[in-house]
Amino acid sequence: MTEAVRISADLERAENRRLTALAGAAVAGMLVAGWAIFVYAPQDALQGPVQRIFYLHVASAVAAFGCFAVVLLGSVAFLWRGSLVGDRLGRAAAHVGLVFTTVTFLMGVVWAKPIWNWDPTRTWDARLTSTAALWVIYAGYLLVRRFAPPGRTAMRLAAVVGVIGFVDVPVVYFSVEWWRTLHPGPVLTASGGPAMPAPMVVAYLVTQLAVGFLCGVLVAVQYRVQARRDAAVARAVAAQLELAPAPEAR
Amino acid sequence: MRFAAAAMAVAGKDLRCELRGKELLPALAQFVVLSLVIASFAFDLDSSSGPRLSPGILWLVLVFAGLLAFGRTFAAERDTGSLEAMLLTPAGPSAVFAGKALAATVLLVACEAVLLPAMAVFLASPISPAVVATVLLATVGMASLGCLFAALAAQTRARELLLPVLTLPLWIPFVVVGGRAVQVAMSGGGFGAWSPVGQPYAVLLDFDILFLVVTSLAARFVLDD
Amino acid sequence: MIVVRARGLVQRFGDRVALGPLDLELAAGERLAVLGGNGAGKTTLLRLLATVVRPAAGRLELFGLDATRQRERLRARLGYVGHQLGLYPALTAFENLEFFARLYGLGRGEARTALEVVGLSGAAGRRLEQLSRGQQQRLALARSVLHDPELLILDEPDASLDAEGRDLLATLFEGRSVVMATHDLALARELCGRALLLRSGRDAGHCGRLRPPEDRPRVPRAIGRWGPATEAEGTSPSAWPPAVRIGEARGVSPR
Repeated sequence: MTEAVRISADLERAENRRLTALAGAAVAGMLVAGWAIFVYAPQDALQGPVQRIFYLHVASAVAAFGCFAVVLLGSVAFLWRGSLVGDRLGRAAAHVGLVFTTVTFLMGVVWAKPIWNWDPTRTWDARLTSTAALWVIYAGYLLVRRFAPPGRTAMRLAAVVGVIGFVDVPVVYFSVEWWRTLHPGPVLTASGGPAMPAPMVVAYLVTQLAVGFLCGVLVAVQYRVQARRDAAVARAVAAQLELAPAPEAR
Repeated sequence: MRFAAAAMAVAGKDLRCELRGKELLPALAQFVVLSLVIASFAFDLDSSSGPRLSPGILWLVLVFAGLLAFGRTFAAERDTGSLEAMLLTPAGPSAVFAGKALAATVLLVACEAVLLPAMAVFLASPISPAVVATVLLATVGMASLGCLFAALAAQTRARELLLPVLTLPLWIPFVVVGGRAVQVAMSGGGFGAWSPVGQPYAVLLDFDILFLVVTSLAARFVLDD
Repeated sequence: MIVVRARGLVQRFGDRVALGPLDLELAAGERLAVLGGNGAGKTTLLRLLATVVRPAAGRLELFGLDATRQRERLRARLGYVGHQLGLYPALTAFENLEFFARLYGLGRGEARTALEVVGLSGAAGRRLEQLSRGQQQRLALARSVLHDPELLILDEPDASLDAEGRDLLATLFEGRSVVMATHDLALARELCGRALLLRSGRDAGHCGRLRPPEDRPRVPRAIGRWGPATEAEGTSPSAWPPAVRIGEARGVSPR
C-alpha cells in the first residue's frame, strides 16, 4: 500500500467521523424540536393536539424549498461554469428535497383530515396540487439523470430541469394568493405580525432550526455518496487511460 | 434580423414537411374527435351535463393532444442527425428552437381548430370568443415548455415516459388559470366577467412571457452540447 | 496556419473511454484519413472535431480558436457530414439545400450551384426518399460545402458512392483541409496525404509515446497513449508503405 493510498484512507476516515458527529447532532436537534413541539408549545384552543403537526409540516416544507433552491444554484453553477461540484450538490439536494416534500405532503394530509374533513380527491387545493407538481418535477430531475446518456449530457439536461423546475416554486407559493382555495393563508408572515402566540412561534423556530440542520446534514451525506460514486467513475476512466488515479474528489 | 429569418426558415421547413408527410395532423384530429366521443360515452353526457363538464374535457384533450404533438417534434430530428446539421450552421440553437416551437404551436392551434368546433357539435359546449382567446393564450406557453422538454426527452432512453413527467407539472398553471377562465366564459361570462378586466388573460400572458423567456434561455443548453 | 490542434483529447461515455488521449495537428491544406476498426473511436473523433460534442478532457483548437468557447465563429468555417446524413426525407433535394442555405444566410443561387457541383441538378425536384443512398450521400456532401468551408470533416463519405462519386470527393477536397474517416485504405491513399490509425481497447504493448519516423523532422504528430494513434506518413500516395506502419512502443510514463 503506497503512502498516498494510506493518507487518502485516513482522510476518508476523518471525513466519516465528522459526518457521523454531525448526524448525531442532527438527531439531538430533532429531539429538542420534539420537546418544543409536544411539551413547550401550548395546546391550540380550537384544533387541539392536531395543530402540533403544523411545526413539522411547515418546517419540512421550508427545508424542501431550501433544497430546491440549492438544486437551482448548483444547476446554474454547472450550466454557467461547468462546475462539477454544483452538479453533485444539485444531485444531493434533489434527493433530500424529494424526501422533505414527501414528509410535508403526508403531514398535510394527516392534518387536514380531522380539521376540514378534507378529502383530497374531492378538493384539489392549489398548494396541494403544486406541491405534488414539485414532487413530480424533482422526481423527473432524477429520472432525467437516469435515462440520459451518462456524463455531461445527463448533468446538462438535469440542470435545465433544475432551473425550470424552480420556476414552479414561486408559483406554488403565490398560487395561494392568486387562486385562494381551502388552504390557510400565510400565518407567520401575515401583515401586522405573526397571528400566533409567542410560545408557538418559538416552538416553530426551534423546529425549523432543527429540521434545517438535519436537512443540511442529509445533503452533506448525499453529497459524499455522490462524490464517491464520481470518484469510482474517475478511477475507472483513469485506469483505462493508464494515468495515476485522480486525487480524491472533494 | 438574422434570428427571425432563421427561426422562420426552421418553422417553414417543419410545416412543409408536415404538409408533405401528413403524419401528425390527421392523427391528431382523429385523436381529438375520438377522445370527445369516448368522453361523451364515459360521462354519459346529455344536453345539461355536456356544457357543465366541457371545460374539463377541453383541457384534458388539449393536454394529451399537446403531448402527442410535441413528442414527435424532436425525435425525428435527432434520429436523422438533422438537428446536428442545423446546430452547425451559424443560425444558433435559440433560433432553431424558436422555429421548432413556432411550428409546434401552429400544429397545436390547427388541432384546436378541430377540437373547439367538435366540442360544440358533440358536447353542445358554448364556444365564445373568450374561450378561444383563453385557449390560444395558454397554447403559446404550453408549446414553448412542451417543445423544450420534447427536445430534452429526445436525448434520453425513455422519451415517452419522460415527456409527460417533465411537462405535465409545468403545464398545471396554464390548466388551473385557463380552466377557471374557460369555466367562467362557458357559463356566460365574457371578457368583462373579471373584476380587474381580463384578469386570467393577464395572468396567462404573464405565464407566456415568463416561460418564453426561460425556455429560450434554456434552449442552448438543451439542444447543443 | 494550423487548422486543427488537439492536445490530450479524451472522450468518454460514462466510465468507458471512447477515445484518447490524442494529440493531433493538421496544417492548412493537409488531408488526414482516420482509419481503424469498428469501435476504435473514428466517429467519436470526428464529432469532436466538428464541435458537435465537447471533449471530456483536453484542448481542441480549430483555426486557432477554442473549440468549446468560440464555436459560433469557427462552425461557419467547417463542413461536416456525419454518419447520419441529416437531411429531410419529405423535402426535395433542392428544398433540403435551400433550407440549409437559408440557415447559413445564403440564397437559392448557392443551393443551385452546390447541387450542380455534386451532379444532382437533374434530381433537384425529387424527394430525398426517392433518391438512392449514394445520391443522398452526394446531397449531404453538397450541404457540407454550401458555405465554402475551409475544413471538411466527413464520416465514411465513400460508404455508398460510385466511382464518379469518389472523383467528386477529390474535387470537393481541392483547396481544403480534410479529415475523413474510412475503411477503404486504397481510397485513403488516393485522397489523403496522412493517416491516423485508431485502435480500440487496451493494448499495453502499443501504449506509449509514438515517435514519428526520424527521417521526417517536421511532421505533424499524432500521439496515442491509450488505443495508440499511429501515424502513417507520406507526402505522396506512392510514398506510402504497403500497410499502415505502427510505431514502436516506448515506455509508458504516467502523466
